[in-house]
Amino acid sequence: MMRTLMMLCKTEILRIFRSPFYVIWSLMMPILFYVIFTRIVNTGSDNPGEWQAHYLMSMTAFSVMGSSIMTMGIWLVQERTQGWSTYMRMTPLPEVIYFGGKVFGQMMMNVFSIICIFLAGYLINGVSLAPLTWIYSGLWILVGSLPFLALGTLVGNMKRAETASGISNALYLSLAVMGGMWMPMDILPRLMQAIGRWLPSYPFGSGAWAIIRGQAPEWSNVLILLGYLFLFMILSTYIRKKQEAV
Amino acid sequence: MEPIIEMNGVSKIFRDKKAVNQLSFQIPQGSITAILGPNGAGKTTAISMLLGLLEPTEGSVRLFGQAPKERAVRQKTGAMLQDISVLDRLKVQEVLELVRSYYPNPLELTELARLAGLASGDMNRYADKLSGGQKRSLGFALALAGNPELIFLDEPTVGLDIKARRQFWNNVRQLSKQGKTILFTTHYLQEADDIADRILLFSQGSLIADGTPEEIKARIVGRSISFIAEDDGPRLRARLLELEPVIDCYDRDGRIHLTTNDTDDALAALFTSGLPRVSNIQIEQGRLEEAFEQLTNPQETELM
Repeated sequence: MMRTLMMLCKTEILRIFRSPFYVIWSLMMPILFYVIFTRIVNTGSDNPGEWQAHYLMSMTAFSVMGSSIMTMGIWLVQERTQGWSTYMRMTPLPEVIYFGGKVFGQMMMNVFSIICIFLAGYLINGVSLAPLTWIYSGLWILVGSLPFLALGTLVGNMKRAETASGISNALYLSLAVMGGMWMPMDILPRLMQAIGRWLPSYPFGSGAWAIIRGQAPEWSNVLILLGYLFLFMILSTYIRKKQEAV
Repeated sequence: MEPIIEMNGVSKIFRDKKAVNQLSFQIPQGSITAILGPNGAGKTTAISMLLGLLEPTEGSVRLFGQAPKERAVRQKTGAMLQDISVLDRLKVQEVLELVRSYYPNPLELTELARLAGLASGDMNRYADKLSGGQKRSLGFALALAGNPELIFLDEPTVGLDIKARRQFWNNVRQLSKQGKTILFTTHYLQEADDIADRILLFSQGSLIADGTPEEIKARIVGRSISFIAEDDGPRLRARLLELEPVIDCYDRDGRIHLTTNDTDDALAALFTSGLPRVSNIQIEQGRLEEAFEQLTNPQETELM
């Protein structure tokens, strides 16, 4: 069983890194934004150092959130429409393990993204944090990506890859904007702020922003993220079961 | 001995359409069985139920005496479906290595490549870049990866050229000699005739004939004699039909065909009865195509 799991993870990682789409969307975009909003556009922050670290967290969370929703979702749809999941159902591999391998592969990819973007922050702006702060914020973003992976599996239940890709893109971008990842929450209109606070993206970013300021993430952040994790998992499992019952 | 496959009164209804109707059959170990039938006869539905991909509306399906979904059954079963699926961004070798790791006693990679006819160059290519025929080969390799005792092949040779098809069936025969049980669907009648030791003939979701290819052919096919007559006309036709061994007389491709159960008697009668001279005589063996048409057509017309 361990051998199977290792093979699954290995192949998932291979597939991820062989996709040019991944590199462009997950790494180039956030890094480009980071350059624009910390070097080119003057945001007029009182504490530029803190802003640079803050925005680095925003962009890392943005990247990880995007690849979790999109890669997971679109690939699940593709595997189903191309018949690979039908083939998988005929093999003795339990579905849980298959799924576990996928989640693990995605997590490895997220680790890679986090390291790359943190490194970019260090190279571009010389962002310097205490070693433990780097590790805690990285871990927060990694673990916090789980609800978004679950959202990805929900998207993965869609019938067509085009629909899944369109919807996950829209979800991803609106979550990013409304959750204060692109620009700080206070700039947004009142109504958007009020909604944004209850979306999973805001507590996700919020926890990392707290960590770089030397604080612990608020409990409400953890609870909202956990709530979304369970909600998406239950919904996704329910829809899957319903689709399979032919 | 306990049968490997057992279907008991199995029906499958999709919404209002009955795709499979009261199927019952058993398949013993080591046989090569063909499920033959026109499109829409219920072949793929039957296979899907055997594989546990579809639940029967009624009746029971047993493989190795267990439900098809049991893990122990899946470990001993391999299948190649019509839609060959491949993961993208993986090389053939990587896909096969991955799938081998799902089984307790997989076949060696080199053996898999040999049986499926995948050259070493193919093994290093990306699976989604393969040609149609190579994808079929990969599908076959995927079916064999776990060294299964029971192999399902759903229309396995669609899109293969003659050479590849011959090679494919040679390999299937080899597997059969190793004691593996093989069940395949096809609408190539010749394939069923050549390969299978038993044919299950499906029409409109029902099993309408079950036997060796010879039995199926013998059951319905009269043999036929065809020739060209110099002095053709209604009189000749009437006299031909009067001959004792002749069952029927009809035209096809500019030749006169006589249907008979005994071609020797029919020929003797043709020469001794003082009929006008006939030339270019051919004796045609009962072909499975004819059996197939005879068995499946009446039911179709009945429905209309």
